[in-house]
Amino acid sequence: MAIEFKTEFKPIEGKSKSFYLLTFMLAGLVLAGAYATWMMDRHGLYLSGMNNRIPWGLPIVMAVFYIGLSAGSLVISSLYGVFGKLEYKPFARVATFMALLLMVGGLLSILSDQGRLDRVLVEPFLHFNPLSMLSINPFLYSAYILICTVYLCVLMMGNEKWTKRLAVVAVLWAILVHSGTGAIFGLVPRGMYKSPLLPPSFIVAALSSGTALMILIILGLFRLTKRPLDTKPILWIGRLLGVFIVGVVYFVFIENAHRYYLVETRAAEHYFLFGGFHSLLFWVGMVLVGAVVPTTILFGRKSGDSIPWVAAAAVMVVAGVLCERYLIVIPGLSHPPDLVPGWRITQSAVEEGIVGYCPTSYEVVQALGVVALIGLTFIWGLKLLKLLPTEAKI
Amino acid sequence: MHRRKFLKASAVFSAGAAGAYALPLLTAFKSNAAAPASTKLRWGMVIDLTRCPANCTACVDACKKENNVNTSGDKLRDIYRIRKVTLESTLSAAPVQKSVPLLCNHCDNPPCALACPIKATTKRDDGIVIVDPHRCMGCRYCMIACPYNARHFHFRENTEQPNPAYPKRHHGVSESCNLCAHLLDQGKRPACVEACANVNAQALTVGNLNDPNSEISMLIRNHPVKRLREELGTEPKVFYIGL
Repeated sequence: MAIEFKTEFKPIEGKSKSFYLLTFMLAGLVLAGAYATWMMDRHGLYLSGMNNRIPWGLPIVMAVFYIGLSAGSLVISSLYGVFGKLEYKPFARVATFMALLLMVGGLLSILSDQGRLDRVLVEPFLHFNPLSMLSINPFLYSAYILICTVYLCVLMMGNEKWTKRLAVVAVLWAILVHSGTGAIFGLVPRGMYKSPLLPPSFIVAALSSGTALMILIILGLFRLTKRPLDTKPILWIGRLLGVFIVGVVYFVFIENAHRYYLVETRAAEHYFLFGGFHSLLFWVGMVLVGAVVPTTILFGRKSGDSIPWVAAAAVMVVAGVLCERYLIVIPGLSHPPDLVPGWRITQSAVEEGIVGYCPTSYEVVQALGVVALIGLTFIWGLKLLKLLPTEAKI
Repeated sequence: MHRRKFLKASAVFSAGAAGAYALPLLTAFKSNAAAPASTKLRWGMVIDLTRCPANCTACVDACKKENNVNTSGDKLRDIYRIRKVTLESTLSAAPVQKSVPLLCNHCDNPPCALACPIKATTKRDDGIVIVDPHRCMGCRYCMIACPYNARHFHFRENTEQPNPAYPKRHHGVSESCNLCAHLLDQGKRPACVEACANVNAQALTVGNLNDPNSEISMLIRNHPVKRLREELGTEPKVFYIGL
């Protein structure tokens, strides 16, 4: 208990040519994203790939993805804050900062996806529907941003007592945030959505993608700034990541098996598993790249102890969870509900069959803009604040 | 932090959060329950498919004109408050076809109103589920929640206004049938019902479900009626005869 051990934090220099080049590139992307959002707000959402049958597209996929990454980052910080593991103290600040930025990104993604941007910041405060998952969640998200901000301040002031208290609040709130996000989908009467398992499965998916991202960020930052890093804690996070992936696989298996077993959802589930491009994303993107290969690497006797292999696994997990997010939102909408059981719709003025979704360049640029904003704030935060330790060695 | 302390903190936190939320939740669910019997008016619709001609779109055309909903032939983004579909039976070997109008079912337990974060979609006391286009912020969660695909979105700016007496909507808001509430409130019939009567089909009937002597109540009493996806418990108020 009494091991006193100093971690010194120092901002990055941020004077190199490449730093400013990166700043300009990211700022350019942010402006492009803002322009795309303005165009869609000005002319209408027909500029996006969304339609009456698939009213939610890339912005919601990305929002859910960021929110997941955010919680995972917070877990790394909580290893020190909640569980008192001193070897993770060097990463606590940067992890909390990332968690904060990612949640801002998630909220921004949702907000910029609305049809009437002029009402987004007004109406929810005037007419709050306490039963809607879409009003509960923005409340949870904004409170989470606030909690993370205060937690980061306390971390930076070095107040141990309050760090622990706030870390507990932040972790518990993150659990609420993820249950809530899962409930947005789990609590609507659609065959491919409704499921009480979605909230817990969101928590596990969040943990796996977030820890994977933090592994990459920590490795990248220490290498780029040439600061010494003890890799043992990172390898331990790698093992933890492996466990999280097993959790994700378990939930995904249960949900899909359940839908395939029950006759009422079998047709939709068959379409999900073997019905087109999204099935490729499921089997290759999510199952193979997102789960099978990384767990093999992380639990492998040699590869699990090798930093390049763990980093590769982390990249795969982030990609796999992005696929998972897409698979939750889109295919559940593109398969039509059985409006009149016993009858097939052969003719209609609107599309009643299977509908595809392909994001347009406006949506892609908008999504890149949010990524760039997170990145820009992150690198300038590293420059202006004492977030990164001079070394992380035990 | 000790495990016991952490668990204690978690327990207090969860209890507090649940308690803080429970109160408004309970009252909100109460107001969302089925309309009380004392309400005098409870609008519903009966669609008699045996009287609905296959190639007739009088109701659809009248609706578009009355409510200023224009279409451009984009099957994925056009708005229809009421649409006609052709159904083919999957049960019998011989091809049986039916022409069926589909519209908002004005559920007694509307999932769209439950989903709307800002109460822009609400159920009126007379049972009509209605969108307030001046409040809707276009989150499209109601479209996700509606099990009938009865909700459409203004992806494009509405340029035409064939009915100057009724406003047109800006792009970016949600749209669905409101049973022509503006006409019902004046004692008139909805545009689709009027049009259906004018072509002498008289397949559509709108009336008060709470009045046992209304035409609609008699139709429901004297005919076998079906509602769409009743198993969901949404309690639709659009009844089909001959489905």
